[in-house]
Amino acid sequence: MNHLLNIIRKELRELMTVGSIVSVLIMVFIFLGAGTMMNEQGDSITTPSEIGFIDGDGGPWSDRTVEILVAVYMDTYGLSEEEARGFVKVIEVALDDNAVVVERMQSLGIDAAIAVGPGYSADLDNKVRATISEYYIFTNPGLLGSAGSSMTSLMIGEISNRISKELVFDIIGPDDAAFMLNPIKGTDAHTYMNGEMHAGVRPLDISMGIMNQTLMVPVVIMMVIMMIGSIVISSMGNEKENKTLETLLTMPVGRTAIVTGKILSAAIVGLVYGLLYMVGMMFYSKGMTNIGGLGGSSPADLGLALGPADWLIVGAMVFLAIFCALGMCMILGAFAKNYKAAQTMTVPISVLAIIPMLINMFASWGSLPTAVQVPLFIIPFTHPMMVMQNLMFGNTSVVLAGLVYLALFAMLTIFITVKVYKSDILLTGIGQTKLARAFARKKI
Amino acid sequence: MNALVVEDVYKTYGGRPAVNGVSFSVEEGEIFGLIGPNGAGKTTTLRMISTLLRITSGRITVCGHDVATESDAVRKIISYLPEDAGAYKDLTGRAYLKFMAGFFADGGDAEKMVMSGIGIADLGERIDSKVDTYSKGMMRRLLIARAIMPAPKVAILDEVTSGLDVINAFEIRDVIRQIAARGVTVVISSHNMFEVEMLCDRVAMINDGKVVLCGTPGELKGRFEASNLEEVFVKAVKK
Ligand SMILES: Nc1ncnc2c1ncn2[C@@H]1O[C@H](COP(=O)(O)OP(=O)(O)O)[C@@H](O)[C@H]1O
Ligand SMILES: [Mg+2]
Repeated sequence: MNHLLNIIRKELRELMTVGSIVSVLIMVFIFLGAGTMMNEQGDSITTPSEIGFIDGDGGPWSDRTVEILVAVYMDTYGLSEEEARGFVKVIEVALDDNAVVVERMQSLGIDAAIAVGPGYSADLDNKVRATISEYYIFTNPGLLGSAGSSMTSLMIGEISNRISKELVFDIIGPDDAAFMLNPIKGTDAHTYMNGEMHAGVRPLDISMGIMNQTLMVPVVIMMVIMMIGSIVISSMGNEKENKTLETLLTMPVGRTAIVTGKILSAAIVGLVYGLLYMVGMMFYSKGMTNIGGLGGSSPADLGLALGPADWLIVGAMVFLAIFCALGMCMILGAFAKNYKAAQTMTVPISVLAIIPMLINMFASWGSLPTAVQVPLFIIPFTHPMMVMQNLMFGNTSVVLAGLVYLALFAMLTIFITVKVYKSDILLTGIGQTKLARAFARKKI
Repeated sequence: MNALVVEDVYKTYGGRPAVNGVSFSVEEGEIFGLIGPNGAGKTTTLRMISTLLRITSGRITVCGHDVATESDAVRKIISYLPEDAGAYKDLTGRAYLKFMAGFFADGGDAEKMVMSGIGIADLGERIDSKVDTYSKGMMRRLLIARAIMPAPKVAILDEVTSGLDVINAFEIRDVIRQIAARGVTVVISSHNMFEVEMLCDRVAMINDGKVVLCGTPGELKGRFEASNLEEVFVKAVKK
């Protein structure tokens, strides 16, 4: 136990180098930054922005359209009439000279405007469909630069609705008009899931909500596995290059303590880094959720929230998967002769972490054919990536089987690692085959 | 009593022999040299003594403990310094000694051990610098200090002066003599016959995995009417 602590202490000291901590923090800050940016962009959709109304008509209907636009602003953003008027900038200019239009928009500092041309009022009076045009100045090439334009299009639809209401109102009176224009109430969705009927949600809302909550888990797990995998394998390569491993193996300390110490300390580092990533990702996904329309339903509202026991399973799976990854890295690292060779050994681990992550992003376990499920199940890193979804959807058997499989896999890797550490392989590399011998001779 | 007995030891790497029936024994407090050209099997032999490699056949005992069956007991009384070894590059010299001392003692005893190690290394204030800033000579001093500080019964040093300049090599040889004077049995390997002649009480010449000759430098020189061990080796191999 004492030796184990001694090894863990030294390993942690080596793993938590300034360089590795800085690289993790940079990652976290990138996520934080991206999340904050999205938050701001998302906010800009739900806060009103100024809109221009270019009046090239000057008739009674263009005045009524301005009033309607103000009313739409009041209703949409909950503004007072005065406030709403502040957002609607009327520009009286003919539409035939683009340069003038642009110049007026720029001088008012607006980048979106709707416009009516001459004959707008006459058309409406004569029962001819009238045209409203849109003018934009492209200024914000960011991810959500088009938010202003989609809002403006919605405005035009709303204006059309309200004008038709006024037209019908003139003919048949207010009560009938309201009914006739909108005889069907908003749809009432019901979705049956996990033995329960959920009112007011559609499957898309559910999957969106779950995605928002669980999407970052596979990504974080992949990143952690790739990072600590490369750390452990590199440290093995270093130990071999400097012969520190050789020295360590002649110390009065059991192989099991050496192996366990290395794996445990790397797992601790992995968990710490994982938590840091998670915090960064949480901000990031909050930003994503904030973008209009991506919200979905929160799993908690749908009775899908994970309980304490579920979280315990998730935690156990993450830890076991990290343990398996490290065991595999230790075995691979045992064959690496030096630091450089060790670097290439991380490739298989990375591939094994990326495959389930990608599949998890695009499909859920239940929707996969057996031919994909089987190899996916065998890859240990799959299990913590899909455990949250499976717990939410009640796929308990997959979860439990995965937990047992991971535990067995972890024990097996430890067993093999200790075995490798007790054999000559650690010092001699794979010297037991003719091929390796020929290879070794060439190198000498 | 013999501190080390190597009896008819063979080692093959995937069927290819590296050590081919080596036998010798080393008395307590002796400085024993294993000499021979590169690839003769010196490192392989020392690794088997140090419990690092499995012995294909034969038997090695250290102070009466069988290396194969009582490796834990053997590890408690030996110190092995691999050829061209380094230390953990992110640790300071002091932290490295502390870490290694932790395997032999706790608390105050460990501290005493570290202090004696710092004394042997004799690196001054550089003991608190990171080891990756050390020169080759400083690194070797640190590693020798690490090997000696737990007061092993047998110290096994592989090519301990290789790659060092004259002064550093001289100082290291001096340290080895001091160790032996304290009763530690020292087994070194070298391909530098002059160095071994200066340092060792007895030597075994090894070539192609076999011991060609064994004895004190004076004895061997007398037997082959040679002026130095290099001549002895050449004559013995040609014979
Ligand atoms: N890991 C290994 N795999 C295969 N052959 C090896 C290995 N290590 C050493 N050998 C071979 O064993 C022989 C003895 O090597 P070694 O003990 O290192 O010699 P020395 O230390 O005397 O220079 C050499 O022929 C070497 O090529
Ligand atoms: Mg050698």
